[in-house]
Amino acid sequence: MPFSAHDLRYHLEQHYASLNAYLQQRAQRYLGSLAFDAVEVDQVVGHVIEQLTHLHILGGGDSAPETALDRLTNAQFYAFLNRCAKNKAIDRLRKHRAPTSTLAELERPGGEEEEAQPMESVVETLWGTVPFATPEETALEAASQQTLRQLLKHCIKALSAAPHQLEAVLQELEDLDARDMVQEIRRLCGLSDSAAPLAHASQHRDHAHKKLRHCLQQSSTNLAVVVALRLSKYETVSTGADVIPVDISTLAQDKLSIQEVQTGLKHLTSEGLLNWHGEATLRLLPSQCKRLARFYEEGE
Amino acid sequence: MDKREKFGGVPDPRMANLPLARWIQTILTMSPAPLRPDNTSPLDDVGKAASSYHLPYFQQLPDFALALLKNDDQATVYYAPLIYHLIGCAACHQAYLEIYDAMSAALAVDSQQQVADNGHHTLALTPARMLVYLCQLLITQAQTVLRVARHEHVDNDAWARALLQQSLTMSSHIMQGTLRQRALQNLVDVALLATGESQDEQNPATRTYSSLVGAGSSPRAGKTRRRAEMLERSAGEPVIELQSGTLQGSVTQRGDILELHLRNLDPPLRGHRLQITVPLGSLIEPVRWSGGNPRAIRSQSPVSDQGHLTMQLGKTDLRLTTAEDRNLLEAMFKKLDVRPVDM
Repeated sequence: MPFSAHDLRYHLEQHYASLNAYLQQRAQRYLGSLAFDAVEVDQVVGHVIEQLTHLHILGGGDSAPETALDRLTNAQFYAFLNRCAKNKAIDRLRKHRAPTSTLAELERPGGEEEEAQPMESVVETLWGTVPFATPEETALEAASQQTLRQLLKHCIKALSAAPHQLEAVLQELEDLDARDMVQEIRRLCGLSDSAAPLAHASQHRDHAHKKLRHCLQQSSTNLAVVVALRLSKYETVSTGADVIPVDISTLAQDKLSIQEVQTGLKHLTSEGLLNWHGEATLRLLPSQCKRLARFYEEGE
Repeated sequence: MDKREKFGGVPDPRMANLPLARWIQTILTMSPAPLRPDNTSPLDDVGKAASSYHLPYFQQLPDFALALLKNDDQATVYYAPLIYHLIGCAACHQAYLEIYDAMSAALAVDSQQQVADNGHHTLALTPARMLVYLCQLLITQAQTVLRVARHEHVDNDAWARALLQQSLTMSSHIMQGTLRQRALQNLVDVALLATGESQDEQNPATRTYSSLVGAGSSPRAGKTRRRAEMLERSAGEPVIELQSGTLQGSVTQRGDILELHLRNLDPPLRGHRLQITVPLGSLIEPVRWSGGNPRAIRSQSPVSDQGHLTMQLGKTDLRLTTAEDRNLLEAMFKKLDVRPVDM
């Protein structure tokens, strides 16, 4: 009996058996020479079931937040499951160094999903060309892409509350030849270009790294940066009025929900950049606009 | 090295940022979580996976992958914290790769294509180990959801309860007692967190009973206890056996009514009425508890001079004679606390 992501979320008891049977069948199909090894079949099926549980598909009901998986059609959801099983099976085959199935073997007629899925990516590489393909590649994007770099700058600037920690990080960045970034942060924080050698530098560095780790992965920080970007655009539409009224619902667009906008506004208020306490209309001052533009200095 | 650079073409401008990228990676890299050995089945090691996965980021992966696949130019702005997390967390990065690839396969098919009927499958024919595994995963997931809620000061109780309810329901289809016991191993601890019920330090339970999960379960459902102290019960009557140290008790059914029988209670409890707490009783709702609250079910009569008490717990449409119903009730009585009311 075909099932959907919705069925597994709301009627798991009725559909788990079908999910399990489908995954078993897929696992055996892709495991080639290991198809009759029960442990290997369990590895594949267990892995997909684990992922589905972590993605809230299994039994989450109304309480678990929806994801893009919930919005897939049945055909798409089956293709998703099929690919998950296939990738894990190939992973297992590789771990066993079993002779990889030939393209023809893997392509033997079966489910209709395969017809729409070229297999070359499976035989050559599991991932093909994927953005952020490795942690190293991802770090390089973070250092290079404007938006990601802005968040990094923001988090480094946020260290200014602990000047020794900020200085320790700036000295590290100077050693890395990231002088442009260092100069910019010094200018924004009102620091002189050269600083005296720092005592206990490694200790300050360790504390600073911990704070940076937290700041970079914290969504409220990021939301603050995104909201600041959106608010900073109001400076250009201002016609010289003393106060620019901003209906906060207008900030909630392009992926940002109203709750996320509120989180961002709260964060900006906590940093002293705004004076917002839950009102539907934010009263934005031109001076605040300037500070927000500095908070998110796009295009530098 | 960039191919163009290697072959004398235009160098990748991003390479100027390589030292900074390495520094970012250094500060973000977490110590890797212990990996599951290759020869260990995930079915034997549910906890390990839970320790290496970060729910707040993991749950964003399908939407992030979809945004990238649709070339959404806001993706890196919106998902910046996730991207920074992926730099440092190998487990989440691996999951991202898998989900990205599977999402790309999903988008490649004709979305309106008909799905072939895979036949009719029932839980009775599903391998019990897959049901055990699912129950363990659901309980571990509930634990993670609660841990994240504490850390982020949000209320995930309803979500955790939904997962625990599912695990209870699914476990009722496991007919082998020892496997059912394994499936529900951490249920009580996690459920106490989810129901907001902590150990009452001011008024600790005088006795805590647990159901002997699987002790009298199907396929021989309705096993008859023939101990001397149970002879008053009619032969063939299905029971849920309870134990607290050397003391024993049982839950039986008369029509819709669930009855609790306790025997040889400690002398200080004799002559007193009792308050019974069934912590998991608030998790699922097939029982209409006497007094309405499974945390405070009061006995109408006091414990006899011999230390015996029989009292009504509530009414239910479930039947101890039905294997699944019995398993569900048995799991619910995994913890039953006894306190004197008037001491």
